Amino acid sequence: MTLIILLLGLGVGVLVGLLGIGGGVVLVPAMVYLLGMDQHLAQGTSLFILLPPIGLGALREYWKQGQVDLRPGTLCALGMLLGAYGGSLVALPLASRHLKGLFGCFLVLSAILLWRKGQLEDGFAAAKGESARG
Amino acid sequence: MGKKGRDAGIFLVACICGIASGMFGIGGGVLLVPLLGLLFGFSQHRAQGTSLVALIPPTGVLALMAYAREGFVSWNTGLSLIPGVFLGGILGGRLAERLQPRRMRQVFAGVLFALGAWQAFSAWWR
Repeated sequence: MTLIILLLGLGVGVLVGLLGIGGGVVLVPAMVYLLGMDQHLAQGTSLFILLPPIGLGALREYWKQGQVDLRPGTLCALGMLLGAYGGSLVALPLASRHLKGLFGCFLVLSAILLWRKGQLEDGFAAAKGESARG
Repeated sequence: MGKKGRDAGIFLVACICGIASGMFGIGGGVLLVPLLGLLFGFSQHRAQGTSLVALIPPTGVLALMAYAREGFVSWNTGLSLIPGVFLGGILGGRLAERLQPRRMRQVFAGVLFALGAWQAFSAWWR
């Protein structure tokens, strides 16, 4: 069991670095389905895991490549601190079942956003290729 | 859009990501990365690096306290997950420099979609 948990952490970490996300979006369903946790418990535990700067190693790699914008990053941190507290006040009184369903809907929405972003980039790349040829 | 307007817009978007973060116990990067790109024209690598900055300070601390008050935190499981996530993050950061992340992201989007649909289904229709 401990081995599963350690490996799960490593796998999620690779996604953190690869996609620049916190990892909670994968951690929560993994804890619900692999470890059999209740939805609320999985979400609280995920917030705990995200507390230390687990993305610091990944951030260093991006920093070396000059791919970091500090000012908007800081603004986002501030906004998320406030927003997260508001969000927790909404989630805590909900029944676990409904929270689980909402979480599912949220995943679907994020998936669509991620996918659309990919398509836009395909569009840009095609336009660039054309102008370079022309 | 002026610089001030852009900053205000980014702050507003971050608040929305934060609400999702507290509601669903996640970091919020999964929303922040595509939104920085779609709304503010960040390149993919830059959006990811900037999102990681936003995830360094303990932005979820207030939400965590609210969950902890209700007893919804498994401290032991959390502690065993942290080292792996940290090490994996370094690995993933190195990989991201080499990979064309678009394909990777689309695969991830597909997995998320399936996972989300399954979770909503099992919560409400079973």
